[in-house]
Amino acid sequence: MTQVVLTIAAVLFALGIYGVTTRRNAIGILLSVELMANAVNLNLIAFAQTLGSDGQTFALFSIALTVAEVVVGLALVVLLYRTRKGIDIDLASDLRS
Amino acid sequence: MMVDLLAPLAADAILVIGALSLLLVDLILPPGEKRILGYGTIGVLLAALISTFALDLSGEAVGGAYEGDALALFFKRGFYVSAILASLASLDFGAKIWPRRQGEYFQLLLYSVLGMSLLAGVRDLLLLAVAFELMGVPLYAMAAFSRKDKLAVEGGLKLYLTGAVSSAVTLYGMSMLFGASGSTNLAEIASAPSSPMLAMGVALTLAGMGFKLGVAPFHMWVPDTYRGSPPPFVVLVAVAPKIAGIAALTRLLLAGDGALLDSVSELLLLLAWFTVIVGNVMALPQDSVRRLLGFSGVGHMGLLLLGLTTGTAEGIAAMLFYVAGYIFTTAGALLVLSAVADEDGNDGLARFAGLSQRSGFLAFAMLVFLLSLGGIPFVVGFWAKLYLFLAAWGAGYQLSVLFIALVGVIGLYYYLRVSRAMYMTEPTVEGPISVDLGTQLAIALCLVFVVGMGLVPQPFVAVAETAASVLR
Repeated sequence: MTQVVLTIAAVLFALGIYGVTTRRNAIGILLSVELMANAVNLNLIAFAQTLGSDGQTFALFSIALTVAEVVVGLALVVLLYRTRKGIDIDLASDLRS
Repeated sequence: MMVDLLAPLAADAILVIGALSLLLVDLILPPGEKRILGYGTIGVLLAALISTFALDLSGEAVGGAYEGDALALFFKRGFYVSAILASLASLDFGAKIWPRRQGEYFQLLLYSVLGMSLLAGVRDLLLLAVAFELMGVPLYAMAAFSRKDKLAVEGGLKLYLTGAVSSAVTLYGMSMLFGASGSTNLAEIASAPSSPMLAMGVALTLAGMGFKLGVAPFHMWVPDTYRGSPPPFVVLVAVAPKIAGIAALTRLLLAGDGALLDSVSELLLLLAWFTVIVGNVMALPQDSVRRLLGFSGVGHMGLLLLGLTTGTAEGIAAMLFYVAGYIFTTAGALLVLSAVADEDGNDGLARFAGLSQRSGFLAFAMLVFLLSLGGIPFVVGFWAKLYLFLAAWGAGYQLSVLFIALVGVIGLYYYLRVSRAMYMTEPTVEGPISVDLGTQLAIALCLVFVVGMGLVPQPFVAVAETAASVLR
């Protein structure tokens, strides 16, 4: 059973990485990061089944950390919209040399 | 009883209490007098710095998740000093650019430093994850603090996106470390039987932290964030979080008997080589001096990784001495830069043309910092490189030493290019440069340490050796 969950988590994580690299919409990228974070949580819960409740504690912390991060991320997307009139990250490319 | 349990965290407690008090003071201060909050922040950081000397911070805290040893103290002092330097530079800048929000900026700064400070002595995966995020999240907000500035928002967004992805990768690696060992204690993870999952976990955690360190190939955010963000923030982000990343890696890889380091030492060495090449070669075509220093900083991370890879007491001591030199040299160069860049943040080589005629002090300070970055004798950068190379040579990494030393020679070219612009060309902008008192003081401090550590390195080396001796 653990193996199955770990495989699902790995697939989720890979999907997240795929989304981060291909999406151009900032919200889409944030959602992909969420997928990666959920893969982490699934992993931790799966391990907690056999290794004890430390994994569940870790998962709780991991959820809180991700939430804190996404809040700041959404605020930055709002700023991106205000300064560039859009949330496509290709709009933010003035710094490329 | 409670006090005993938290005694090793006294310096961190000072930061928490100080930050919360400043939050309350911010509420009652009239909008025109927010400047006091900056002074208060520097006071809190100074108090924390003094406490690392005056109080006994040794021992375990929070159930063994944190241990205050000589290495933790060394890193803590480094974080506090670099945060003080960055705060000094932020005083006038903040009062001018975001007068009503100075309190928020310094709040974020203190929380980020708190995260770093906890990382210094971390012994548990859970605390490592939390402290790493506590360090990172305030930085994203600070990078985009000039919220109407397009470039600052772009720099902040790039820092955020790489940071968010990297922490997801780090956490995924950590979940595997937990899965492979069944424990969150770093020493127990190190003593777990080696398995593919453990190796994968270490590699993923390393990759995630590599983003924060700005190690190639995860360095893309570095030049953009340096260029776009407010200059005083760059002084912070270029030094403290990178040192914190090194601290976290040292704690993780050298926990227990250092088995985790052995499992990734080839990978680390590969990263070190690649980072040194990318940092030095990509710095060559840059016109913006901040981008140039960004890439040069990437190159220096490669050297630190080489020190970490050795894993010997000498190697770690040399790496710590390098860290101490890096703090003052990089912060100093970026402080000069924040004084020279114009209101729009333009910092091309043209801004540095004829700097010696416009401000002798700034030009001289920049020259010393550049020489130190390039590793010229009699400033700290030379000794730092020398000790690092000697230690790595002694540990059997002769080929890497030769290679990295050769690539480092490229660095001299772009450091001298800036020096030449300052001393050999006519100024394109007329008039002396006015530098605020805080920045002047910070530059002078850096100058004293860069020259002082270059002339009498022994006491600082001794401190680094004591700090390194707690490992293995």
